[in-house]
Amino acid sequence: MKTLTLTAAMLTATALAGTAQADKLDDIISSGTLRCAVVLDFPPMGMRDDSNTPIGFDVDYCNDLAAALGVEAEIVETPFPERIPALMSGRVDVGVASTSDTLERAKTVGFSVPYFAFEMAVTANDSTGIASFEDMKGHTVGAVAGTYEAIALQAQVEAWGEGDFRPYQTQADVFLALSQGQLDATVSTSTVAQANVQSGNFGGISVVGKAPFDTDYVALFAKRDDYGLLNYLDLFVNQQVRTGRYAELYEKWVGGELPDLTVGGVYR
Amino acid sequence: MFDYTFQWKQALAKLPQMLDGAVVTMEVAVLSMVIGILLAVILTLLRLSGSRPLAAIATTWVEIARNTPALFQIYMAHFGVASFGIHFSPFVSLLIGITFNNAGYLAENFRGALKAIPDTQTRAGRSLGMSQLQAFRFIILPQMLRISFLPMTNQMVWAILMTSLGVTVGMNTDLYGVTQDLNALTFRTFELFAIAAVIFYAITKVITLGARLLAARLFRY
Repeated sequence: MKTLTLTAAMLTATALAGTAQADKLDDIISSGTLRCAVVLDFPPMGMRDDSNTPIGFDVDYCNDLAAALGVEAEIVETPFPERIPALMSGRVDVGVASTSDTLERAKTVGFSVPYFAFEMAVTANDSTGIASFEDMKGHTVGAVAGTYEAIALQAQVEAWGEGDFRPYQTQADVFLALSQGQLDATVSTSTVAQANVQSGNFGGISVVGKAPFDTDYVALFAKRDDYGLLNYLDLFVNQQVRTGRYAELYEKWVGGELPDLTVGGVYR
Repeated sequence: MFDYTFQWKQALAKLPQMLDGAVVTMEVAVLSMVIGILLAVILTLLRLSGSRPLAAIATTWVEIARNTPALFQIYMAHFGVASFGIHFSPFVSLLIGITFNNAGYLAENFRGALKAIPDTQTRAGRSLGMSQLQAFRFIILPQMLRISFLPMTNQMVWAILMTSLGVTVGMNTDLYGVTQDLNALTFRTFELFAIAAVIFYAITKVITLGARLLAARLFRY
């Protein structure tokens, strides 16, 4: 009887210890599925092909991560404003959603090291004669609400003291408004600008130059206290670059010169 | 499983900005109600006019306003009309969208109210020497507004809540727009939306209480 009690107690203890030790990384591996939040109206990072299948840099990146973990990838379409609710309500495990790693946001979620870097480009409606970033002064400009470039552009419009700023909910709406002439110009990541101008869906607009904003580093994100997972993500980003997979994906979806993911002179 | 640490301090620091947004929300809602009631009265008159083309215009308006999503109406007021080269600012687009919707719903409310008023009322007015329009203005309209007062309060609440659809047309100065912007900036989604919900609730509560007081005053007899 004593041995039985002891065994039972030990079994309970082991079970308790087991659940206490299992972290998010273990959960993902044992569940067999990695659910990624991906923004699918943000070409070439995330979009849908003719048969409505999600494709893009972020989609491939999620697939690579799942393969590394030895699980199936599940792409969960998540518009920009819904990234955090999706993570907090447990609908996704990790965000592969071109998310700028701002300090303000890092108070809420945990970021990996940067996995991609964007240059900012100015796209203008051809009829406005805007040919550079400075020409935007006094015009009606806009960007996708809450993005890195929207925050910087709104601040710039306020600094100029003239002109209007309008945030739209999706990148598609921004380019629609731009091609309709509701917006005179927009600042977006250069990859997205090129993809949309070349898509032919929006007439009368051209990429006219670079915006003098800092490089927009974007990172993978997970819950702030999932250290095991965040640690894995850091190493994964590093490995993608080391193995040449990052360069391969960049060439496939974007092309041109590979952006540097590190900042000289500092760690992290 | 919901795993989230609430950080109220960070979100509450944004309360002044959100209250500014609430003022804009009220502006849009009140303007859209005032214009909406006027338009609804005109739509009701058109339906009563006996002229088929005029009645058809009013019917078409009501049909579209009642049977398509408000989101669609606001979106069309911005991106739809822009395809024809007409550009409205987000504020105006939102106002047009909500007012269009309000007018349609209120016109239906008024029609219902009219059905409750016997024809003999108009005839009584006519027999006193009033014109058709005078009888409507002095006898029917006051009764109609009285009967449809509660549905009108409902519509006002609905108008306030509908302002949240402005984000789809680039509106970022109203309560919902401000909240959405702050959300993108800080990622403190649930605190910010909880605060916004409380403000929305407070506004609608004040409106309904105000309406009840007003009704008690207006409809004493």
